[in-house]
Amino acid sequence: MSANKVWQCITCGWIYSEAEGLPDEDIAPGTAWEDVPEDWCCPDCGMDKSDFTMVEVGSNGLGF
Amino acid sequence: MTAPCIIIGASHAAAQLSLNVRQQGWQGDIIVIGQESFLPYQRPPLSKTFLSGEKTVEDLLIKPESAYEKANVSFRLNTQVVEIDRQNKTVTLNNGDMLEYAKLALCTGATANPLPILGANLKGVHYLRNAHDAIALKSDISSKKHAVIIGGGFIGLEAAAALRQKAMHVTILEAQDAILQRVVSPEVAAFFTQLHESFGVVIRPNSIATSFEGSEAVTAVTCNNGEKIPADVVIIGIGVTPETRLAEQSGLTVKNGIFVNEFAQTNDPDIVAAGDCASYFHEIYQTDIRIESIQNALEQSKSAAASMNNKQIAFSSNIPRFWSDQYDIKLQICGVIDGYDAVEIEQDLEKRVLNALYFRKEKLIAAIAVNNPAWLTKVQPFIKNGEPVNNELIESMRQK
Repeated sequence: MSANKVWQCITCGWIYSEAEGLPDEDIAPGTAWEDVPEDWCCPDCGMDKSDFTMVEVGSNGLGF
Repeated sequence: MTAPCIIIGASHAAAQLSLNVRQQGWQGDIIVIGQESFLPYQRPPLSKTFLSGEKTVEDLLIKPESAYEKANVSFRLNTQVVEIDRQNKTVTLNNGDMLEYAKLALCTGATANPLPILGANLKGVHYLRNAHDAIALKSDISSKKHAVIIGGGFIGLEAAAALRQKAMHVTILEAQDAILQRVVSPEVAAFFTQLHESFGVVIRPNSIATSFEGSEAVTAVTCNNGEKIPADVVIIGIGVTPETRLAEQSGLTVKNGIFVNEFAQTNDPDIVAAGDCASYFHEIYQTDIRIESIQNALEQSKSAAASMNNKQIAFSSNIPRFWSDQYDIKLQICGVIDGYDAVEIEQDLEKRVLNALYFRKEKLIAAIAVNNPAWLTKVQPFIKNGEPVNNELIESMRQK
């Protein structure tokens, strides 16, 4: 079962959706937050994965 | 042995670039040359949590020293490059040393625009661009009560919010009719004007500082209408100028920034540039552009690191993104709010709602969201792909 939680960077507000992944950065759709590589950093504020807390803001994608 | 890869400027772009160059396969030495005494640190918090909180510069380091050691990246801090010789592929340092390079990166950033009026050297008059500025300002405000901020841009507004949290009286002098003129639309500027006024900040439009009063330390700011506003701290935030001197001297193309192609290369393929100092032709907006944001620095650095390893990663069709924190507000912008002919906007200051869509010829070119990142994430592909905006998207901005 693929992951579908939505996470938000507490520094800049950027959103990571597990369902969508980050294909531009070779993170496939369905990649759980815990499986995002440790050297990944937030594309908007540059915070390291290990340096910041992502907060879970929802599940089942980003439905309005 | 191959000559090293040299990166000028120990900035956010340099941190990313140095580690990326290694990651993408660079075998030789990597040397970062920085004017300041710190390893690369995060600049955005300097006008936000650093001012209002307890953090030190060490807390703001982008990576610990060990990360650079592990990647075999070395630093020469407190050091300035005075000349680039492109024929011989060398750089000359201010101590006279000359270093050879195989590939060179310019991450020289931007410097705060000066306000050279009478009294500009008085104690208590600050800029807010680098860690030294922020440390000096932070130590100064601990005993001060009246702040005047010159310039109603993002730096000024973020500083205003941080100083209000310290219960200082804050007045913003804005030279134009309204704050944020250069970057957002009038409706959004009005939202932020009201936000700041609701927290007790005094915003004075059409006000230009003509001199600073005081004998040793600043005591007041005199405005163009002759009025003197009491001040024991002044922050000047009137924009920045890209640092392009080395590029110009060595004959690289400069157009409001060191001009690079979609792979972050200058007109010399062995020299790349990234971050606030770099300008480029944006594929989607079809115009030359220079962006001051972390996202831009990170993406250009990835492209630059690839170019240095003779690979290609294009960045020039990426949609610019930017954020700003003020009080309980997190503003996010994606796209470039310039040349729009229609706008859809939903706002309610009390409820902290502000969603806006900007169109040109019926195509979405930019969007703004306050405390609503999920919505902005949904909007972004419409800008990137040029898809027609559907009613569902318009309707979604009415909800939260």
